[in-house]
Formats: sequence, C-alpha cells, structure tokens
Amino acid sequence: MKSNLIRILSIAAIAAVLLSGGPSPAYAAKIRVVTTLTDLADFSREVGGDLVEVNSLATGVEDTHGVPMKPSFVPIMNRADLLVLVGFDCEHAFLPALLEASKNPRIQIGKPGYVDASVGILPKDVPKSTDHYQGDVHPYGNPHYILDPVLAKTAVGNIYNALAELAPQHQAEFKRNRDAYLAKLDAKIAEWKKQAAPLKGVKFVSYHEHWPYFADRFGMVYFGTIELKPGIDPTPRHIEELISSMKAEHVSIVLREPQFPEKVPSQIAEQTGATLVTLPIMPGGIPNTETYIKMEDAIIHGLLAAEQARENAHAMK
Amino acid sequence: MRAIIALIFVFVFSSCAFAQTTEERLQELEKTMKKQEQSIQELKALQKTVKKQEQTIEEQRKLIEQLTAKTKLAPPPGAPATARAPQTAVAEVQQQVEELKEQVSSVADAQRQTIPSKFNPAIGLVGETIFSYRSQGSEFTGSDRPGGFDVFQRSVELNIAASVDPFAKGYAVINASADPVTGEAAAVVEEAAIQTTSLPCNLELKAGRFFGEFGRLGYIHDHELPFVNRPLVLDQYIGGESMTDGAQLNWLLPIEHYVSLTAGVGDNFGASPNLVAINSNGLTNGEYRPINGLVYFGRGSTSFDLTPDLSLEPGISGLINPHALDRNGEIALPNGTPETLPQYPGSTLTERERSLEGVDFTLSWKPLRSNQFESLIWGTEVLRSGNNYDVLGAGPVFSRYVNSYGMYSYLTYKWSREWSAGFLFEGVENAEDNLNHTFAYSPYITWATSHWNQLRLQYTHTAPNAESGLRPDDAVYLQWAWIIGSHAHGWQQR
Ligand SMILES: [Zn+2]
Repeated sequence: MKSNLIRILSIAAIAAVLLSGGPSPAYAAKIRVVTTLTDLADFSREVGGDLVEVNSLATGVEDTHGVPMKPSFVPIMNRADLLVLVGFDCEHAFLPALLEASKNPRIQIGKPGYVDASVGILPKDVPKSTDHYQGDVHPYGNPHYILDPVLAKTAVGNIYNALAELAPQHQAEFKRNRDAYLAKLDAKIAEWKKQAAPLKGVKFVSYHEHWPYFADRFGMVYFGTIELKPGIDPTPRHIEELISSMKAEHVSIVLREPQFPEKVPSQIAEQTGATLVTLPIMPGGIPNTETYIKMEDAIIHGLLAAEQARENAHAMK
Repeated sequence: MRAIIALIFVFVFSSCAFAQTTEERLQELEKTMKKQEQSIQELKALQKTVKKQEQTIEEQRKLIEQLTAKTKLAPPPGAPATARAPQTAVAEVQQQVEELKEQVSSVADAQRQTIPSKFNPAIGLVGETIFSYRSQGSEFTGSDRPGGFDVFQRSVELNIAASVDPFAKGYAVINASADPVTGEAAAVVEEAAIQTTSLPCNLELKAGRFFGEFGRLGYIHDHELPFVNRPLVLDQYIGGESMTDGAQLNWLLPIEHYVSLTAGVGDNFGASPNLVAINSNGLTNGEYRPINGLVYFGRGSTSFDLTPDLSLEPGISGLINPHALDRNGEIALPNGTPETLPQYPGSTLTERERSLEGVDFTLSWKPLRSNQFESLIWGTEVLRSGNNYDVLGAGPVFSRYVNSYGMYSYLTYKWSREWSAGFLFEGVENAEDNLNHTFAYSPYITWATSHWNQLRLQYTHTAPNAESGLRPDDAVYLQWAWIIGSHAHGWQQR
C-alpha cells in the first residue's frame, strides 16, 4: 500500500520516457515564439508573419513587472524556439523562475533563443548603485523604452535579427515584413509627432515610472511618479509633497496605468486640478488597443483629450 | 522497491543524461569560441561604423547650420508654399541626426558596458527575528522555545548562487541561528547543491544537500512561509525543512499540460523533530522519530487554469524510509499503550519501515490586472504517516503499526501591495501515538513595505488533547524578516 504511490510514479515515469523517446523536435511547421509582453508579441507577428506562432505570457492587462507565474506558461516556454523579452531586468519578478522551470536549453540566457529586445538601447535613469534604496524593479535603468515608438523600432530590429539567425532560409521574407512594418511605423511616428505638437512642454505625473522615453520623444515634461520609488507604494508624505509641487508647477495631467488602483491618482488629480487619464502600457491594456500602433494612437489621443479638457476648464474659469 | 527506484535512475541516465557526450561538449565549446571571435570582429567593425557615423553627424550638423542660415537669411515674404520645402527638409535632417545620435551613443554605450559582478556569485542575506510571548513553558508545549517573553534570531541566512559552467548552476544556503537549547550560534549548511541546466529530455538533476521535494511547504525556507511557524504536521512528521543529502531528478512531462514529476534518494530527511513531551501515562516516547538513513521520496504536481484569474495546483507526494533502529530503554510502546518495554524483560523495540504520503492543493485567485494589489490563496496539505515497530527478544514477539494523519489549511487574502492577512488551521495526530492529537488556530496579518522587508503579527492557540500530556497554549508572535542583496523569486515560492 505505502509503496504503491512511488511504484505508480515510477511506472508512469518509465512509460513516459519510453513513449516520448527523447526530446520532441523543436521545428514543427512554425517557429514558436514566446514573448513576455504583448507589444513584443505584436512585433514578432509583424516580422514573422505566417512563419511564426506567437504566444505572449502577458495578456496586456498585467503590470509589466508583475505577470503572475502560471504553471501553464511552462509547457509553452518548454517548446519555444525563441523567447523575446523587454530586458533591463523588467521581467525579473517572474521570468528567471519560469525560465528555469521551462527546462528549455534553447531559450536560456546566453543562447541564441534568448532574445533581449533592448540590445542597442541606452537606458535612462540607471541607478548609481544596486542597493535596494532605489526600489528593486529598475536595477539596470528604466526598462519602459518600448513606449517610445522610435526606440520600439530597435526592438523590432532585434526580433528580426533573431528570426533571421534561427531560420536563415526565410530571411528574405522576414526582411520584407520588417521593412514593411518599420515603414508603417515611421509613417505613424511622423503622424504622432504632428498630433502631439500641442503636448510639447505639457507637464504630467504617472503612477509608475513608465514614461521617461515617451515624454522625451514627444517633448512632454515628466514631472514625477505617484510611487515613491519604482515598485514601492507612496507614503502619505510623498503624496503631500507631490501635490504641493504639482500645484506650484502647474502640472496638468495625472496619468494612471490601468493595473494600479484609481483612488490615489484621482485624489491627486482632484486636489491639483489636473486631469486624470487612464492609458495602457502595453497592447490590450484597455479596450481597442490590440496592436502596438493602436495602443500608441490611444495614448496620444488620451493625452491630447486630457490636455484639452484642462484647457477648457481653465477657459471656463 | 529499491530495485525499482534504482532502475528509474539507471534507465533515465543511460537514455538521456549521458546522451550529451564530452565530444559534443567540446564541439559546443569550440562553437562558442568561434562565436566570440566573431563578436570581437563585429565589435571592431562597429567601432569603424561609429566613427563613420560621427563623421556623418558632423557633416549633417554643418548642413543643418547652412540650411538654417539660409532660411533665416531668406524669409519667405508672402510665399509660404515655397518656404515650406526647406523647413520640412530641416526638420527631416534634424530628425535623422537625432536618431543617428541615439544610435551612436547606444553603440558606444554597449561597448563601454562592463558587468562588475560578472565572475562573482549572486549573494543575499536574510535576517529573521521572532519576538514572542507564550503562556506555557516548553515542558507543556512540546516546543523547543521557552514560555513567556522570548526573542529568537531564527535566521541569519546567507544565499549564494552562480552558474558552475554552461551545464549547471550551484547554490548554497548557510544559516547561522542560535541553538534552541544552548543558545550558541552555529552555522548550518542548509543547502549546497549543484543543479543541471541543460539536460535533454526535460530533465533536471540536483545533487548535494538540498530541501527534497516532498509536499507543499516542506522545501520552503522559514522566512518564506505564509505564516510564522512551520506547520506542526511538517515539524512532527518530517522534522521541519525537508533537508536531505542526496540526489533528485525532476522531469517536466513533454506534453501541452503542465505535469512535473520528481524522484529523489537521500540520506536522512528533515532535521530532528521537536521533542515530544510525556504522554498521559507519564511516560515519554523519547523524541519523534527522525527520518534517518536511506530515504526515497517523490512528488508529482500539476496545475489547472480554471479561469484567467483562478488556478488550482494539486500535488501528491510519497516517502519511504526503510531504516531500522533499535530503541531500548524505559520507553512506552508505540500508540499509547500503558505497557512499557521493561514489562518484557530482555526484549528490544525495533523501528522498522516508516512511510509518508501526502496530498496537497493550492487554489489561487490572482487577478491578472491587479494581482500585486489583491489576491486570495487557499493552501491545504494532508499527510499520512505509517510507522512499523517490532518487539523482539526473550519475551513475547509482536509488531505494532501506527497510522497517523495530520493536516494544515490556510487562507491568505491580500488587499493592497503592502497588506495581507489570513487564518491557519492545523490538526495533527502524533506519529507514534495516534490517540495523541493537537489542533491549532492561527490568525495572522502581514505588512510588507517591499519584497525585502516584512513584518508579521500572529496569534496561535494550540489545543492538545489529554492523551498528549501537553497543555493548551496561547502565543503571540511578531516576526520581522528582511533581505539584502540578491534574492531570487523562485518557482517553488510562487
Ligand atoms: Zn517599471
């Protein structure tokens, strides 16, 4: 009786080893790409076209640093040919453990299947020390470069390089796809820059430090964050100081990323007269933002609407 | 039984582990070297590119200056259509320059980047202090902590981890804590193991000293438990953390559904369990039986996503300890019989095979969007212990089999990034006397200022029955745990 359990386990193990006959072939019909976040999944689909099957661990509504580690991710990662990640340790809360559990040597760090989309990006706000005084979620600098569409192009390029290296026989097709997407993105960037002209010099705060690259690209002034440090919730004193400095400096927008609670951002907006707007940080974060381009559209329009609302309010006074 | 386990190991090894021969490894190394040569060449080429790009920027800068000068010199009076062309040209060139500058700086930066800790292992230190008050002394609680006010530095835990080579990683956990009896601090190597990272067939082999995979919370370090103390059933049946010296093989089934199987073999399992006090007959069974000698253990677990936010993770575990041990002396016979061994002069009590089986499940609600701010975890584990004893010698020869059950179940609700609270229920029958049982009830509340700093307040009412000879006890604990340096968010702690 007592040894039955182990006996059954043993028999199951032996049977399964016999049946599986070693590792399953990695190259089925399509190249299997797994991405941590949905923006990278969108880019991978654009570059890989019909040749790839893309799975994203995040669905879009999660925090970029807080995708829950689900065991169901493990078989997906186990079979992946490529793992595409944001880099700068953005995913450190969930990816290292999943990578280990995945038992997939092809996508481990240092292997060609480990695709760090940040290669070639110069990080902003690199901490002077690795001490946790600065919080622990941005140890190698700010990882939210993809929100800047010009830097997003670098990520697209890195995904192309990885696909071309993995399947050189399809390089021409990947190149065609990449060039087509980059052209589309370039056209949108020109459009966004034109649309965002009224946002130049507009000051805003957000919950988490998601926006330094975006703000620089569109000439906005990133005034501060509601979080005390990345990943650390605000203290009452921090909120007080933020409110008084926002009032003094006429900060006009409070940007809330949808995965953070609304209470504190809306209080701050109310007390400072700023407009509260909820905007996504990756595709799928709010409805009708399934692709990167749609998301970026939504962000620009959301900010414009918020700025307009504030101007109207001022005009009323 | 041994033969079967041995067979698995031999089989799995011969078919998979050694499939990667030394030759292949050499080839791989050669490849790596070639790649490195290539990257050096590439870097040299990049340097050239950077210089070229710098030149281009300089040229374009001049061009901009010229163009700006021109547009300023020749303002378009009443001819906006013609004036727009140079302006857009300037803007375009400016944008190009901007992008080029970025590229140059990022390339330059990539070349400059060095990682100071490249050859050093990741190091972290955990400190954990427990302030407590207990209404009963240890003679009535069976605990190794005294009654009244107490401060206990439970952990000063050093964690070290690094890759050994391309095929394995190594890690060690060294804990220096005060001995509960002598009060002297002693460093204990809790874990020091090598773990493969590139075995084929979805296999992973771990060897050395480590916490063997049995049950749900047995292999979690003290400070990572969802409540202050390790559940009574784990303390009594295993002896706390499932520390063993041996090897364990984990296999992720190559199917689309997550199924993880682990089998291990080791010498000893867990630490020496807490002292058990006298029973109702005024006799002591001595200490709980430690799991000494050769041990086989295993675990299988899987997971089901019931909804995107709700998942169920069930698991089963088993352990066999065939070790036999003579236990002479004036001790009570197992299972609380009023007889003692001296009633059978010349006889000896021998412990035979010990086995443990467990089932566990964790139901977790973690909303995708707001899981850092709210979640609900329900974890339950039930263990069965089977203990065989023989009385041999001059007197009557007979056997005893003690079958005991123990369980714990906890529910933790998290309602903000910093705060969570829960309730732990425990019930356990003594592994040597299943008429002797204890229930415990513990509400707890946790305040985590960050992942690295956590305070927990817990009240525990322990209610042993009369057979145990122990007294009901009320205790309040304040636990402060902190981490500096590196700390991995492990798969098992999810
Ligand atoms: Zn962040």
